[in-house]
Amino acid sequence: MNKLILSLPIILIFIISIFLLIFLLQNKDPNVPPSALLDKKIPPVNLVDLFNDNKLINLSNLKNKEILINFFASWCAPCKVEHPLLFQIKKQNPNLYILGINHKDKKHDAINYLNQDGNPYDFVGVDKKGLIGLEFGVFGLPETFLINKSGKIIYKYLGPLTKKVITNEIQHLL
Amino acid sequence: MISLIGFSGLFFSFLLSILIFVIYFFQNKKYSEKILYYAIYSSFVCILISFFSLMFAYINSDFTNYNVFQNSHSSKPLLYKIAGTWSNHEGSMLLWLVIMIFYNFLFSFNKTLDNNLKKLTIFFQTLLYLCFSSYVLFASNPFLVNSIEMNEGLGLNPILQDPALAIHPPMLYFGYVGFSLILSLAIAGLILDKINTKWILVTKNWTLFCWSMLTGGIALGSYWAYYELGWGGWWFWDPVENVSLMPWIAGLALVHSLMLTQKEQLLKRWIVFLSILCFSLSIFGTFLVRSGILTSVHSFASDSSRGIFILILFLVITSFSFIVFIFKSTDSNKNLNLLFLNKTSTLVINNILMIVACITILLGTIYPIIIEVISNNRISVGAPYYNSTVLPILLPGFLLMSVAPALSWQTNKLPKLKSYLFSFILMSIITLLVSYFTFFNTWGFIGIFLSLSIIGASLISFYNNYNNYGLKKFIIYNNALIAHIGVGIMIMGITCSSVFQSESNLSFSINETKEVNGYIYKLEETKIYNKKNYQELVGVFKIYKNNKIITKVKPSKRYYNVSKMITTEVGIYRHWFQDFYIILGSENDNKWSVKIYQNPLVNFIWFGVVLMIISGLIGIRKK
Repeated sequence: MNKLILSLPIILIFIISIFLLIFLLQNKDPNVPPSALLDKKIPPVNLVDLFNDNKLINLSNLKNKEILINFFASWCAPCKVEHPLLFQIKKQNPNLYILGINHKDKKHDAINYLNQDGNPYDFVGVDKKGLIGLEFGVFGLPETFLINKSGKIIYKYLGPLTKKVITNEIQHLL
Repeated sequence: MISLIGFSGLFFSFLLSILIFVIYFFQNKKYSEKILYYAIYSSFVCILISFFSLMFAYINSDFTNYNVFQNSHSSKPLLYKIAGTWSNHEGSMLLWLVIMIFYNFLFSFNKTLDNNLKKLTIFFQTLLYLCFSSYVLFASNPFLVNSIEMNEGLGLNPILQDPALAIHPPMLYFGYVGFSLILSLAIAGLILDKINTKWILVTKNWTLFCWSMLTGGIALGSYWAYYELGWGGWWFWDPVENVSLMPWIAGLALVHSLMLTQKEQLLKRWIVFLSILCFSLSIFGTFLVRSGILTSVHSFASDSSRGIFILILFLVITSFSFIVFIFKSTDSNKNLNLLFLNKTSTLVINNILMIVACITILLGTIYPIIIEVISNNRISVGAPYYNSTVLPILLPGFLLMSVAPALSWQTNKLPKLKSYLFSFILMSIITLLVSYFTFFNTWGFIGIFLSLSIIGASLISFYNNYNNYGLKKFIIYNNALIAHIGVGIMIMGITCSSVFQSESNLSFSINETKEVNGYIYKLEETKIYNKKNYQELVGVFKIYKNNKIITKVKPSKRYYNVSKMITTEVGIYRHWFQDFYIILGSENDNKWSVKIYQNPLVNFIWFGVVLMIISGLIGIRKK
């Protein structure tokens, strides 16, 4: 009986640890609030091409394609870090349409940045004033969204993509 | 280069600790003792080299170091470059190691304990160090090199750029990490079956020191939250505050029960349990904060693999300790001298109350996690839960506190009972009168009554204990009373600043005056300043009373260029009996929205805490 009482703390510790472990393994991040846009249709916004002012696309017209939308800017260092990984995604999924949205940036800087580091995007849209970012509820750069064939947002990631995120999360959804 | 030096320092201190670990088993060999101590010293030197080279990288803005790149910026003032060393996850874990080995280093000079016990304690402390240094080496290395060339860093979160916060982590860690030595002492004592008077004296001194540091660390954090976050309060029951409060309460219970054991040689098993509990709660807190499980102001970059590493460390260390505890702990066969009202019984009650409070806080902190695992719903447990559970638990403890130091160990009698009774009655009449003439509030009444009776009774005990042995001895022997007066003053501050706080939301245009509680506030002008790493917009307020100007207060908003963050800087005028606390809001049609708090007696909280720390440090001198 006495030993049982003495073992109480250790039993308690194990129970608590099991809960914590399950929680950790679920990989939830309380710092990222669930996006209100998840499972919703993408906002129907028009995008102007970075390289050609006369070229326009409307997001809601991009049907029957899986799209990865990546918000970036030349002034954003973490974007520079994740940049090579976008090429990797493109290589692994040739059919994926990668859409870059250049957020609150100078046109000249953005073009220079893509010339230097390469352009992994199928299309680069301009969001000079950040209004499109507002539609998507962008917190900070970089931010990445995944859209399925019926035009619904199925995934969102805040911060620079990592190899782990791509293999564990994004590849599973594609 | 500097990263390489730093990493080598870390690695060599790890190797030297392995040497200490191994050499313990060859104790009988010639020179082994000398090698053991020299290994401790050199391991300490190595980790210092490692720590200072990281600091050097921060001061030099060496962005080839990934950690510096992530958390610093060349335009930061020097103080925050230095503090930047420990205001991120990896750097703070390195500080953790430095302090852990520092305690081992200091302890190696101990002359009170017998040699076997001392060496075994060093052995366990080294083992703990090996656990944590392998964590730093393999999962949170601060010396990673940047893969791409960077000219500029990402900057430190602006709200962390504050003098109080620069010294808050080291102080907190001296408490948190110091409990590791208490754990090592407990396990070594258990295994050698040497929980005796010497052990208790040594443990008491180290516990008092760690506990005082932890008190200071928590108070600094809370002081920072008071003037930096601009929410009008100083304690928010944030998960991070809770996890620091739990080891603090356990440490407090430990300090008190060590006193009991000193006098009567009792409760051995209980103090060993508390010694283990303190550091277990420290690691548990570290896990909760570092794994990113909880949302709070201390959100370090979260990474679940790190979380699992710390969770495993927590499991291994605590389960090992508690298993030793189960099989080795023996209780003395003397029974407790429990009477209706003597020192022993009040100390036991106080210990029970503290542990219940600790468990209540623990439950509130991990409840959301358990619920989310079971039902996938996200709930939050906030201040109402803690206020309505923890406070009532502590109340009887506060009441007992006022007389406990004056009680006798052996009998039920309270010497000079009449003077205490008289002071209680007097205090309740005063409190009643005061609340009748101001306005009655139950919590306000209870708080003021408790605080006055604690202070009153402690002063009476001071008077009764007075003798001619000299001031120094007198203070050392009555240091518990100083701490209790500190608590009394703190309760007064807490009660008044929370119950009698006034909050008003106003809008000002330039040169407009408004009246709040008899004071006239005037917004005189707004100015814009350009500082080294931020731009500041300052609102200049003048406060008048009876047409006389009392002071100028300058709340402001800062825009930090690097992190593109706006922070609100509270303007505070500290008066003896109340703080004028002004927050500048946004502008609309030339009207500024302004929040004004008047917080009575906030200074009492900080003053009370300082008394508690001083008393804790004085207690170390007590034999």
